Amino acid sequence: MFYVFDGSIQGFLTAFLTAFSDPNAELSSREAQLPLGLTPVFVQTQPLRAKKAAERLQSFDKSCLHDLDLLLRGGESDNEQIAFRYLRFLANAKRPVKDRLAETDVFNAVERIKRVGLEIHRFHGFIRFMETASGALYAPFSPDNDICDLLLPHFRARLPQYPFVLHDVKRKKAAVYDGKNVFVAPLPHADILLSADELGWRSLWKEYYDAVNIPSRERLKQMRGYMPARYWEFLPEKQP
Amino acid sequence: MFDFYVLTRYNLGMITEEKLKILTESAKYDVSCSSSGSGRKNAGGIGNGYVSGCCHSFTPDGRCISLLKILLSNDCIYNCRYCPNRLDADVPRATATPDEICELTIDFYKRNYIEGLFLSSAVCKNPDYTMERLLLVVKKLRTEYRFHGYIHLKGIPRADPLLMREAALYADRMSYNVELPSERSLKLLAPQKSKQSLLEPIKTLALQQAQYREEKKQGLFKGHFLPAGQTTQMIVGASPEADGQILRLTQALYLKTGMKRVYYSSYVPVVQDKLLPETPVGQLREHRLYQADWLLRFYGFTVEELLAEGENLSTEYDPKCAWALKNLHLFPVEINRAPLDTLLRVPGIGAKNAYKIVEARRYTKLTFEDLTKMRIALKRAKHFITCNGKFFGAENETVVRGLLAAAETTESAEQLSLFSLQSNPQNALIALTGQL
Repeated sequence: MFYVFDGSIQGFLTAFLTAFSDPNAELSSREAQLPLGLTPVFVQTQPLRAKKAAERLQSFDKSCLHDLDLLLRGGESDNEQIAFRYLRFLANAKRPVKDRLAETDVFNAVERIKRVGLEIHRFHGFIRFMETASGALYAPFSPDNDICDLLLPHFRARLPQYPFVLHDVKRKKAAVYDGKNVFVAPLPHADILLSADELGWRSLWKEYYDAVNIPSRERLKQMRGYMPARYWEFLPEKQP
Repeated sequence: MFDFYVLTRYNLGMITEEKLKILTESAKYDVSCSSSGSGRKNAGGIGNGYVSGCCHSFTPDGRCISLLKILLSNDCIYNCRYCPNRLDADVPRATATPDEICELTIDFYKRNYIEGLFLSSAVCKNPDYTMERLLLVVKKLRTEYRFHGYIHLKGIPRADPLLMREAALYADRMSYNVELPSERSLKLLAPQKSKQSLLEPIKTLALQQAQYREEKKQGLFKGHFLPAGQTTQMIVGASPEADGQILRLTQALYLKTGMKRVYYSSYVPVVQDKLLPETPVGQLREHRLYQADWLLRFYGFTVEELLAEGENLSTEYDPKCAWALKNLHLFPVEINRAPLDTLLRVPGIGAKNAYKIVEARRYTKLTFEDLTKMRIALKRAKHFITCNGKFFGAENETVVRGLLAAAETTESAEQLSLFSLQSNPQNALIALTGQL
């Protein structure tokens, strides 16, 4: 049976309870991806039931809701299903199962969680701010996973005096630090007035990038492995 | 998506592109770029440490950019033969002002281009003067510019120890380069440096760091003293020392000075000199040294187990493979029973995978298929392990050798190209026939 929920964690947990004892259950938050000819079950989010499920799951493994959050942020279409199978495995085992990598359900989930974690780590490095005329910093980017708010704590801790905007242009949303508070807001489009020095610093950075390279030791494959080309769009050093 | 508009005005305090280019190109052969090990907190101002380190970009040579790696000046009074900035060399010279470096660091950091500063310098006028200038930059950066990001400072040999001690209170990491692996080579190629002048500061800093750490524990000292420790670097291939000798020096540095890392920089002939080899050292040698270095630090090996003093590391096999082939009587080991330190010695099984195996086998008897499912690469390992008593490798030692050499070439084909096959045609043949 197919179970469709609204994409929220609470929605997932309600669907999780509904589908738990169905051995052929498939969970999805996207109706469009269902195979033809199947009638899906639309799961209405029930906050109370979800809360109970959350508490029960946490009693087996404290970090499992955090893991679930990361799993549902994934960019792939089967994330919900992988999360479902993982949590069902956990609920049956009634104890932490993360180390049991020989189990396919665990392994798949752990791999996905790692992938989201890796992208967060990568963007700690690959975010590129531009300085706007007001002094606030603006960074457009296009991550595979829905992670812009998860980058906030890192940048807030190191740039407490600079308001900044992390703009996920693919999902048309932004994680914002206004100098005091952080929040997430929809942002389809941004008009940016750059500071007077911005282009100067940017060309210095490009100069630096070119100068620090050792051309006689070209290893492009290595570079692309560490810094995949899909991220280049927003890196000034990779622009002509 | 987003549109932007620009106001035109240029900051006059900005370092010029030409100066940046000269000072970067002079610094780029320095290997270290790590920004790990410091958890410095933001205490007002800008920046903080990132304990695991963070790469911000990667250049076409496959190296990462984590720190702004730059010289304060490339105007040198020394005449080290291998160095592009040596006194005799006819190269453009430049010297940056402390404020130019500080502003560059802050503005790059703010835009998240970099994780911090790696500052070094040629020796201008004399060692004390140079060290004073370097100290001035880091002090300014920390106090006036209130920068709490990562700073790696290169120490100047023969400078006043008091300057060194003070610099260590501001930097996260310092490094004095060992430069060359023996006193003899130093005399020949870097006559103004001696083993003593290079090793003394390393030892002193290690001692002081231990003292400060103790005082910090007792609450007598509140600041930082090299939270990310020390590293060093040596040039490989400019002088005749064998890998065995180099790695013995490395091991001594790790054991005696608590060195965080030793970097190897394979010699690139940027200068023509009759005392220096004309050809660059292949990156394979550097690669093998790093592999052996890892074995010393994370895999519980000693250099004596790996190779004799006059010996070089094998080009055919990685050092762990080479060790295992010399010690075939210890294998195969049973994956479900072997203790962690034994698993760590199986070729092809890295530290992470060894831990994964130890965890996973608590719940189930691992089979060969389980290992594959866990994405543990078995190309090499299968010849050295059994899963529940079953062996999946090749029985014949000659075939194992051939297969391992072949695995090596396919996995790092780019680095090794056909080199290792050509060097031993017999292995190439075995590799082919063994696979049929």
